Amino acid sequence: MVRVGWSGCAALQFFMCKWISKIVAVVLFSATIAVAEDKIPLTTSLPEAVTTGTPVPFIVPKLDPELIEWPKFLVPAGTTNLALGKKVTSSVSDSDIITGTLDLITDGDKTGDDGSWIALPPGKQWVQIDLTKEADIYAINVWHYHSQKRVYRDVIVQISDDPTFSKGVATVYDNSVSGNDHPYIENRFGKLIDTKGAKGRYVRLFSNGNTSDKLNHYIEVEVFGKPAA
Amino acid sequence: MDCSSPISVPSPKIRWVIFLTLALLALVVRLPQLGERPMHTDESINGYIIGQLLAGKEFHYDPQDRHGPALAAFTLPLVKLEGAKNFSELTESQLRVSTVLAGTATVLLFGAAVEMFGFVACVIAALLFAFAPLSVYYNRYFIHESLFVLATFGLIISGWQAMQRKSIWLAGLAGACAALMLACKETAPLHFFALALAALAVRFWSVRMRLRFNSGTVRTDNGLLPAHPKLLKMIMAALAIFLFITVLLFTWFGQNWQVFADLFHAVGNFTARAGGEGHEKPWWYYLKLLCDGQSGGIILILSLLGMVSVTSQVLGRPKLQPLAPRIFLVVYALAIFATYSAIPYKTPWLALNFWLPIALLAGIAIEWIWFVTTKCWVRSVVLILLLGLGYLMQQDTRLRVFIKPADEKNPYAYAHTIEDVLDLPKRIETVAQQNNLTQPRIAVIATDAWPLPWYLRKFSQVGFWQPEQDPGAADFYITTSDVSPPLAERLKSFRPDFYGVRPNVLLILWTPEIKRN
Repeated sequence: MVRVGWSGCAALQFFMCKWISKIVAVVLFSATIAVAEDKIPLTTSLPEAVTTGTPVPFIVPKLDPELIEWPKFLVPAGTTNLALGKKVTSSVSDSDIITGTLDLITDGDKTGDDGSWIALPPGKQWVQIDLTKEADIYAINVWHYHSQKRVYRDVIVQISDDPTFSKGVATVYDNSVSGNDHPYIENRFGKLIDTKGAKGRYVRLFSNGNTSDKLNHYIEVEVFGKPAA
Repeated sequence: MDCSSPISVPSPKIRWVIFLTLALLALVVRLPQLGERPMHTDESINGYIIGQLLAGKEFHYDPQDRHGPALAAFTLPLVKLEGAKNFSELTESQLRVSTVLAGTATVLLFGAAVEMFGFVACVIAALLFAFAPLSVYYNRYFIHESLFVLATFGLIISGWQAMQRKSIWLAGLAGACAALMLACKETAPLHFFALALAALAVRFWSVRMRLRFNSGTVRTDNGLLPAHPKLLKMIMAALAIFLFITVLLFTWFGQNWQVFADLFHAVGNFTARAGGEGHEKPWWYYLKLLCDGQSGGIILILSLLGMVSVTSQVLGRPKLQPLAPRIFLVVYALAIFATYSAIPYKTPWLALNFWLPIALLAGIAIEWIWFVTTKCWVRSVVLILLLGLGYLMQQDTRLRVFIKPADEKNPYAYAHTIEDVLDLPKRIETVAQQNNLTQPRIAVIATDAWPLPWYLRKFSQVGFWQPEQDPGAADFYITTSDVSPPLAERLKSFRPDFYGVRPNVLLILWTPEIKRN
């Protein structure tokens, strides 16, 4: 049995720690390079500004500042808008929709002109996009209405594999009273939500009226991700 | 079958019964849901002025932004009659009744214009004024326009009658109407100019008629020729009454003589405002507005037809009907429309000024169509078409006035207050109750806080600050997104909620966290 005194132990620990630190550093560095090489900035086509004037950036507690440029956001290479052309359902029947049709939400038209948006009735309503199969979702961008400065209330975004959202629900954004996110003013950049790679087939978006009227509008929803491996 | 027998003009008694009935119908149309539309900023400012007067303060003419004292002088006794004692008790309906009554009186006044424009034209015009969306909408708006149009019509009728009857009393009444116009809005001189131009055109036409028919074969019915010995007295009477009422109202019954200096400043301010000040619109703005809806374009075409019928008679041989007042009307309509269209500053309620001549000209056109069609079946078709127009007008009025009165797509709802802001005082009440705050302190920090003074009138502790000022401690804050760093620090312990005030204008209500037991 080899006994090692205190000083010998400390020397060994120092020696081992030095090597372990080096190995860890090399591994982390390599991983970072790999990750960085694998990630690309998220881009999307942006609609023309309809409201007049440049948004004035403001810093007020508990409010998301109004975007004045498209945010830099990295996603894995190969990420696409999985929602484009996908089927959309909602909390109301088609006959109860005030204006437009649900397919407008995923048709790629973000102009905000009349005929490019849908209006759901007052109160808390949702729309749901079926991505047709499970996906790794990195970001969701939603345009409610950008022809006017307005704020939509109680915006909640959830992802699930269950079409009824009764189990396995991941809430990726919540600016209602119970949520941790903040209200924001709509503009042409939409609202980019970091979904942190959440997995799921269905995306459900809630809102509860807005500051201009009681209705719930959607121009477009983009779901950026890759089909799950 | 021939239907060419003329419509006999009813006796004055029957005529007034007809116009009184039309006025009552106009009143009935204007009263429902009077308090439901949110208060426009201008309405809330006028409501605040009435609140100040109820509190015993005098009317102070503001040359910067507000108009004359006539609306306040007209409304104050009415709201007192309705039982209002102070600003916090005032309601939207109590205030808007005054302009509803002004609109109703305008409809009744068509009965007094029969000698000028003819019975059929006046009945049609009264119907158009009573039920058209534009007039119904703005007669329910607590701003100066309805009273101004009533005074303008009063000036036209009394001025004309004074000249016809050579009456000093009627000349005085014309002076009173002119004073009321000036005490309503600073735009009165534009109308005085247009009316003077119209009177000159009639004078010119009358002289030509006299020359053409060699003094007297055709009676010119304008009352302006020849110069009457009483004319100077009439002018003096009109001027004296005009000055007396102007001074009386603007000094608020002798309490504020500083007003004349303010009026002097107002000239510069309102001249600058005519340049636009954010309300610039193209010259065809009013034309587009008047064509709005299913019935607007048809009525506008009818009024153009009315102009054509008057012009054709001016160029041809004058007939029996009084032509001079119609020439006066055409020139006035064109002059006032051209003037307002040429000024860059435009707001939709100014179009109410056009609705008076448009209604009369459309009435003249319908009368003309009626008399040139002598066959019974043709007249039946005309009648059916008119009923169809009435139906379309009713549809427009229903949509614009009652279904979507504050909708941003409603062209009459200009920079209108959004219904969302009505929830703001309710939210304050709820949170104040939850936090046991019986008299919550509310600090409003915004460059332009209107119409909040109206909507917060029931709270006793409300203060207003500019964004760079520090309001100190409060239970609730209402801000724009432009807040100073010290205030931002203070707001960290509050919860924000956005409220829409007008299209593209948002305010943030900061409420204290609810205390939970």
